[in-house]
Amino acid sequence: MFQNYVNIAFRNLFKHKLYSLINILGLGVGLAACILITMFVRDELNYDTFWSNADSIQRMHTTFNVPGREPFVTVVAMGPAKEAITTYFDEEIEYSTRFNGLRPIVKIGDKSFDENVHWTDPETAEIFDFDMISGDMRETLRDTSSIAINETMAKKYFGDQDPMGKVMTLTVYGLQRDYRVTAVFRDLPHNTVLDFQALVKIVESDFEENFSFLFSQWFSVNNNLFFKLRDGVNPERVTARWDEFADNGVALPLQSLREGTKPSDFIKFSSMPIKDIQLNAVGGGEMKPTGSMMNVIIFSSIAALILVIASINFMNLATAKSTQRAREVALRKVLGASRVQLLFQFLGESILLALCGLVLGLVLVELTSPLYSDFIGKDLVFSYVDPFNLSIIVGLVLTVGIVGGIYPAAVISGFRPAQVLKANKSAETSGSAALRSGLVIFQFAISIALIIAAAAVYGQQKYATNIDPGFNRENLIAIPGVSRRGMVENQQAFKEEVLRLPGVVSAAYSFDRPSTGNESNVSVTIPGAETDQSILIGRQDIDFDFVSTYQIKLLAGRLYDRNVARDSWPSTEGVEAGQILEANILVNKTALAKLGFGTPEEAIGRVIRIGRGEQRQQDMTIIGVLDDTKFQSVRRQMRPELYPLSDSSYLNLTVRYSGDGAAMADQIRAIWERIAPDVPFNFEFVTESVLQEFTEEERTATLLAVFSGLAVLVACLGLYGLASFTAERRTKEIGVRKVMGATVLDIVRLLLWQFSRPVLIANLIAWPVALWGLSSWLEEFPYRMDFWMLLPMCAGAGAIALIIAWGTVGGNAAKVARRNPITALRYE
Amino acid sequence: MLKLHNLSKVYRSDEVETVALNSINIEIEQGEFVAIMGPSGCGKSTLLNIVGMLDSPSSGEYIFMDEDVAGYSEAQLSEIRKHNIGFIFQSFNLIDELTVEENIELALLYHNIPASERKARVAKVMDKVGIAHRASHMPSQLSGGQQQRVAVARAVVGDQAMILADEPTGNLDSAHGQEVMEMLQSLNEEGTTIVMVTHSPAHADYARRTINLFDGHVVTENLRAAE
Ligand SMILES: Nc1ncnc2c1ncn2[C@@H]1O[C@H](COP(=O)(O)OP(=O)(O)OP(=O)(O)O)[C@@H](O)[C@H]1O
Ligand SMILES: [Mg+2]
Repeated sequence: MFQNYVNIAFRNLFKHKLYSLINILGLGVGLAACILITMFVRDELNYDTFWSNADSIQRMHTTFNVPGREPFVTVVAMGPAKEAITTYFDEEIEYSTRFNGLRPIVKIGDKSFDENVHWTDPETAEIFDFDMISGDMRETLRDTSSIAINETMAKKYFGDQDPMGKVMTLTVYGLQRDYRVTAVFRDLPHNTVLDFQALVKIVESDFEENFSFLFSQWFSVNNNLFFKLRDGVNPERVTARWDEFADNGVALPLQSLREGTKPSDFIKFSSMPIKDIQLNAVGGGEMKPTGSMMNVIIFSSIAALILVIASINFMNLATAKSTQRAREVALRKVLGASRVQLLFQFLGESILLALCGLVLGLVLVELTSPLYSDFIGKDLVFSYVDPFNLSIIVGLVLTVGIVGGIYPAAVISGFRPAQVLKANKSAETSGSAALRSGLVIFQFAISIALIIAAAAVYGQQKYATNIDPGFNRENLIAIPGVSRRGMVENQQAFKEEVLRLPGVVSAAYSFDRPSTGNESNVSVTIPGAETDQSILIGRQDIDFDFVSTYQIKLLAGRLYDRNVARDSWPSTEGVEAGQILEANILVNKTALAKLGFGTPEEAIGRVIRIGRGEQRQQDMTIIGVLDDTKFQSVRRQMRPELYPLSDSSYLNLTVRYSGDGAAMADQIRAIWERIAPDVPFNFEFVTESVLQEFTEEERTATLLAVFSGLAVLVACLGLYGLASFTAERRTKEIGVRKVMGATVLDIVRLLLWQFSRPVLIANLIAWPVALWGLSSWLEEFPYRMDFWMLLPMCAGAGAIALIIAWGTVGGNAAKVARRNPITALRYE
Repeated sequence: MLKLHNLSKVYRSDEVETVALNSINIEIEQGEFVAIMGPSGCGKSTLLNIVGMLDSPSSGEYIFMDEDVAGYSEAQLSEIRKHNIGFIFQSFNLIDELTVEENIELALLYHNIPASERKARVAKVMDKVGIAHRASHMPSQLSGGQQQRVAVARAVVGDQAMILADEPTGNLDSAHGQEVMEMLQSLNEEGTTIVMVTHSPAHADYARRTINLFDGHVVTENLRAAE
């Protein structure tokens, strides 16, 4: 019995080659897409699960609620918070540790590089279990002049030599120290939010003099602060008490706290389990870019949709084909087969097909996964011994085989032999034909919606990268690192030499450069205003040439003048506590709105006040208003900004050039290396760093395009199969029509229309759904393309679907239409 | 009306060569009622298909209304056929998905006739063949005789001068067969040329002339004296 089924199943597989091929191909592609997406999703969901303490490690986050501005959300913590939480939550928190990546210059012999070294506390060794190659992490992090490096760094500096005991010099923030390598650990895997090449111990006194903001100042958030809960402690016992901690635990020097307000009104602490960070954390300060839950959801849905489309193919082709099997079923029934036996026979056949599809799918996964891994930046491999993977495979085959097979099996096994054997009656019920066109509509609705989504993501990305940033970003080279020891003393000379290069148009120092996302803010009040409420304004220190180099528009007033002493940022040196300093200042347009100063012209001459420490204050008269620049990121809302003419905190030199950029960079490098040979030279083209902000979106857009293409492909395979079956089924009709005088064109049109109708209806379903989903997706962007741009995308997607459907069906229709009618009518 | 001269049809498959019609000479006048008889496989259907321009001869002449159509292209044949020839098949060849009315209308659909006129003409022939009360039924809801009446209606609705019928009664019981024959006879009396293939000598008696085929040859032609 069983043998007979298997035989029949295989024979059918080979007999109906087109049918089998379409099903296997569609299913193979669908399953491959599903498996690839599952690999990605599973990886994203399993970040930082490998640590022994994964379940009890949390990270502390800080959010500043500044009146009148969007909350400043970070995933980092203030340096002193480490001690504070360990004391305050003594019963709950066992260990806590900070990570702060200072990017020092590492020098060994005559080699010097920028490296991703993190300063950390000794508790790191208690919380995280690193995969050690040699040495001991605990010992290393207790010692002030020991360093733990990873395998890659060991290879880079020491090649095949034993790195243990070797010495390297680290220079950063006024610190210069020799460290001895006493531990080597295996490179961190990609599935952790931690990211560093080497670790050294934090010695707060090293930075006390000028850089106390790094570790020992409240209000300066620089550190990734992890803590481990004591065994058996419910995290709620900490998370529920953050406000209480803010109000009692933090020595908040908020002198300006008004009556009835609490520190927790301004500062919100929170914490998040380390396993949730990759997909759920929001805010600045990550060690490396994290993933997004949105993407995980989007891609999981796409995987499910592709699978649905492939299953629909299955179902449609099987019911369509059922007419051909009617006679077999009828005969089997006459010979005594029960309905259940037939049901199992046909289910078995569909599972066999699904299995073949799976084999093809796995082959496709093997072929494409290296490329795919590379593209999404993860080293993913599909392991066949992994129980999860195996259950996914078995689950997919059974789901598709059974879901796709059960309906046709039920229909076929339900044929009445008397009806079927009485010739000249089509065994097909009108119900299954209606269901088929319903399912085709559904498939195409999905495909069309996916095409629209891919187009919209792409369109938004193009829009965002081409948006006018308020400055001219062409032909700009930004050079970071000018505050490094060795260069900071020579800033003036460096700029002068750069300006002497032929092809250099201008050059300007500034605190920030485009697209870093850095934040530096000052609290501003308006003297004499009714409220004493302060407004947080972004601070960007510039030099005389900044505005002209970036080509920013001056809306009102004047720029800084070398001959006006009051234009320069005054030093606090020798100014006693409680004194008031004075200066002139440039601000941007958004600042006026925040300050309530009206038009740029009206704002000229208005005065704003900031604190300069030790109860000193500084009054600043607005002399000029600059147009808004999307300097930080087009992803963020425009922020109010002021532009002190202060030379003490420049981090970047920006050079405007004409001609060949790469050659220009080389010439600047030569000057840099002559002036500061120990400081590594870095540079970036501003156009490129803006593009880089969107690599994630670009990747999403590409993946979306590829997967929606696959969805369309699978849907079209089904359509092709259906079209050929329909043509088959309609041969008699076509023959009659031709006898009645229909031309080839009439017939082709007839068949095309039959398949255009579901595609057109699919558009009617897909458009509103896509428009609704995408318009709410666009809401997330402060700068977004026009909603109406989605309409041509809808029309385009509809046209693409229709053309593809025509292409799929047309050839077949033409072939059928050209056939001589008597062959169709002869053997009825 | 039409004249076949030395007309042959040879089917060539991979190895075998079947001579279905061998140098046939036949003449059929306007308004004739001709029956074609002969054993199975002798070439009756082949002859009818060629006469109906559904197929082309391998050699010989086919003069249809003073035109030699033997070498015409498919599109040209289709054009002539559409205006002059109606068909009735043994297995009716109605389209299952269309109603009786729509099936009949099909014969006018490709003639550039406005919808209102089509409706009127269809209604008229439905009356004539007595199927009007079933206009909106599906073919599967009709008896064989009724289906063949629909097929007859479809063949005549275009006012074609000639109707070709290949065993129109082959799938019918004798009562229904009789009915169809009477319908053909009355059409013939109205002037329509009819060429019919049949195995039944009784049905052949309705025709004025009987052509007997054997192995691709015309063996005899019997003329029946008008009653
Ligand atoms: N397409 C074809 N290819 C090859 N041989 C064919 C083809 N069509 C018909 N024949 C052959 O031509 C001969 C005549 O066939 P035809 O169908 O005309 O016979 P018939 O007289 O109509 O028979 P019946 O009474 O059974 O309908 C037969 O031998 C048949 O096998
Ligand atoms: Mg025949």
